[in-house]
Amino acid sequence: MQNTVRRYMPLISLGVVTIVLAVLPKMGVPRVWPLYLFHFFVFLAMANMWNLLAGYSGLLALCPAAFIGLAAYTMTILTWVDVPFYVGIIAGGAAAALFAAIISPSVFRMKGVYFAIGTLVVPEILRLVFLRWRPVGGELHGGGAGYMVKGMAGVTMEHTYWLGLAIGVASVIVMGIILRSKLGLGLAAIRDNDATAASSGIDVFRLKLYSFVIAAFIMGVAGAIFYSYQGYIEPSAGFNIKWLMMALLATVIGGKGIEGGPLVGAIIVVIFHFQLARYGELNLLIQGIVLVIIMLAAPQGIMGLVRDVRKAGGLGALLRSASRGRIRARQL
Amino acid sequence: MDESILSISGISKRFGGLAALHDVSFDLQAGQIMGLMGPNGAGKTTLVNVVCGFYKPDSGTIRFEGRDITGLPAHKICRLGIARTYQIPQPFGDLTALQNVAVAAMYGRGIGKSAAENAAPDVLRTTDLSDKKDVLARDMSTITLKRLEVARALASHPTLLLVDEPAAGLTEAELPRMLEILESIRQTGTTILLIEHVMKVMREAVDTILVMHQGETLVSGRPDEVMNDTKVVECYLGEYA
Repeated sequence: MQNTVRRYMPLISLGVVTIVLAVLPKMGVPRVWPLYLFHFFVFLAMANMWNLLAGYSGLLALCPAAFIGLAAYTMTILTWVDVPFYVGIIAGGAAAALFAAIISPSVFRMKGVYFAIGTLVVPEILRLVFLRWRPVGGELHGGGAGYMVKGMAGVTMEHTYWLGLAIGVASVIVMGIILRSKLGLGLAAIRDNDATAASSGIDVFRLKLYSFVIAAFIMGVAGAIFYSYQGYIEPSAGFNIKWLMMALLATVIGGKGIEGGPLVGAIIVVIFHFQLARYGELNLLIQGIVLVIIMLAAPQGIMGLVRDVRKAGGLGALLRSASRGRIRARQL
Repeated sequence: MDESILSISGISKRFGGLAALHDVSFDLQAGQIMGLMGPNGAGKTTLVNVVCGFYKPDSGTIRFEGRDITGLPAHKICRLGIARTYQIPQPFGDLTALQNVAVAAMYGRGIGKSAAENAAPDVLRTTDLSDKKDVLARDMSTITLKRLEVARALASHPTLLLVDEPAAGLTEAELPRMLEILESIRQTGTTILLIEHVMKVMREAVDTILVMHQGETLVSGRPDEVMNDTKVVECYLGEYA
């Protein structure tokens, strides 16, 4: 009985938190709360999926912006042909997933840092395409290649908030399922050693493809939801490297390859996002400095530090064993 | 020959101008331990890589249990029943010993996660790793990792096990136990191709020896015959030794 409770505890607490968050906008909280939380949900979904790729599958994919922009464009353009935006959100996720599947044979040929560089150029290519290509609406004029999202009359911040909540929670659940499944262990094996993985019977390409497509779909849905809130998309925003920076920062600060890492990281990134906005361009500088400090103090991220402290039996014990390690290293 | 589990004929593999394997042919009888020896650069590890599907041979065919497996991808060859260990241990570093073994059981045998996790402790016991069950592979010593290599390969239930230098890096004292483990694997009906430099291993553990030299097969036969063969002595020590 106690074991059952312990086993389902995370699920129960996730359910309770979800319900509380779902009714929050109706509770008369300050109006900025839903706004902050909406961003948190979107960032959480992004970071969770980036953690799936970089932390659990060994895929240092630097192309989240491609999935975001493509899905958001798909959703927006569909609203121009009278498709409801919520259908467009799913279609956007599907478009991003399809795109991931199409590029995978070529990008998976590259390994490690080459894969990273190879994927980094992908959003840039898409940005250039969407700067010139206008599938619907008239010729370019004035405002560039941007599109308004149509058919949003009557959609309130509350609705968008709930959509954000849905994708945030979905990303946590998907992550939880994958990590406890055969797929999760297979991906971890590929991350650690792809040659050994292959000689142990793992179809490396296929498993990487699963991971890539799942991440693209959820990132895409999150991106489409975000732009349904923005109400407007243009290529240099949708395919901006800031999407990558945000997912990467949240994952690395929280703890890459740790399930709870993105959750903690996303909270910090949201705080940055709103509190540092007033400093304009200095914002990036400050984020960079904070990242360096965290990397020095906790190379495994905040949740990594928490894990190490727990394992060592307290912060003092960890510091003592760390300094012992340093002495031993010097003697060697 | 009905009993031959692995039949290699006319395998050649070139890397640029270097012929790593040249027209290599041999048969491996089911249930045997065959030793594969030869000086550095003889092509032993290349041969293992070709059999396991890491390299595609330029010519020749590999038949396993009567079936042509030439050019199949590595994961399919593993699933057909050929497992390997690496000379330098290549574990899944951030996984525990149990997970290392469970991964190979899951994907090598195509079973579910809980079935694999139930099967893993047995494999760990065979290889003396029960007490390391929850230790991450990256925290293990080389000696332990050598056994983990064997454990992971065993987990996929191979009918043919290719073991690349299991004794390298082990001390004299640790050697007998490794040989016992290999012998116990053979007892279960698994055929073993054993690459080794350590003569003690060759004398004590194997049924037949195949000697390779500069990418070609030189001699094969019983251990005592092979070790006294002048050609073998020459290729190791030079012509006038």
